[in-house]
Amino acid sequence: MYCPKCGTTNDGNAWKCIQCQEVLQQAPAAGTPPEVIPNYLWQAIVCTACCCIPLGIPAIVYAAQVNTKVVQGDIAGARQASKNAKMWCWIAFGTGIASSLVWLAINIGVMMTNHHSFGR
Amino acid sequence: MQDLLISKPRPVERLLLVGVPIAMVGFALVLLRAFNPASTWFFPPCPFREFTGYLCPGCGTLRAIHQLLNGHVAAAFRLNPLMMLLLPYVGYSGFSTALDTAFGRPLPNVFLRPVYIWILLAVIILFWILRNIPFFAILGNC
Repeated sequence: MYCPKCGTTNDGNAWKCIQCQEVLQQAPAAGTPPEVIPNYLWQAIVCTACCCIPLGIPAIVYAAQVNTKVVQGDIAGARQASKNAKMWCWIAFGTGIASSLVWLAINIGVMMTNHHSFGR
Repeated sequence: MQDLLISKPRPVERLLLVGVPIAMVGFALVLLRAFNPASTWFFPPCPFREFTGYLCPGCGTLRAIHQLLNGHVAAAFRLNPLMMLLLPYVGYSGFSTALDTAFGRPLPNVFLRPVYIWILLAVIILFWILRNIPFFAILGNC
């Protein structure tokens, strides 16, 4: 959104202008739910379960850090831990998919080779 | 500027972002219900188990889901008790994330106290170790 005072472009949910500190929207009223910082815990558990060990474990560590830092009021730290949790989920997921595809390719290759030798 | 760079996905993109993964998971579940990974060749094995010979904390999950989809709850718990216990949390949070991505309206957020997640981490690592020890073979029935 544009600041009505100085015209600077601000982030859509910024509540103060980054340039002139003009208040762009009212601070959230008491009682409204606070920002939810995703901890990616369920994704981390899925990655741990579906054979991407030990790469799902760091994702769970970062998930725990997200909630720890939220409780401590360290929102910047929680956001960083959230990013790391997400990154490790993707690494674990990618590794799992890649190893499964390699395994599948090898198996299909072996089956086709056997099929050929039976034919002769 | 930032708004232009990180524009929110449009409704159609949002539905695809959710629809495609749900379709893939659904297809996998149909396959899993029909075929037992223990006796068919095309479900990939656990790489950790293949290379080390030891069970990982997730070993048995696919076979457990196969048993669960066929109504055999006890058999599912025998294959991987930990993952069966975590399934309700994963199901609820996964459904919530899907709703949030598709419609921007998640289910009520379950904020776990940090200590519970640290305990979960310890339990997973303990489960990993114990199920490889013959004395606790009941945890590694897969």
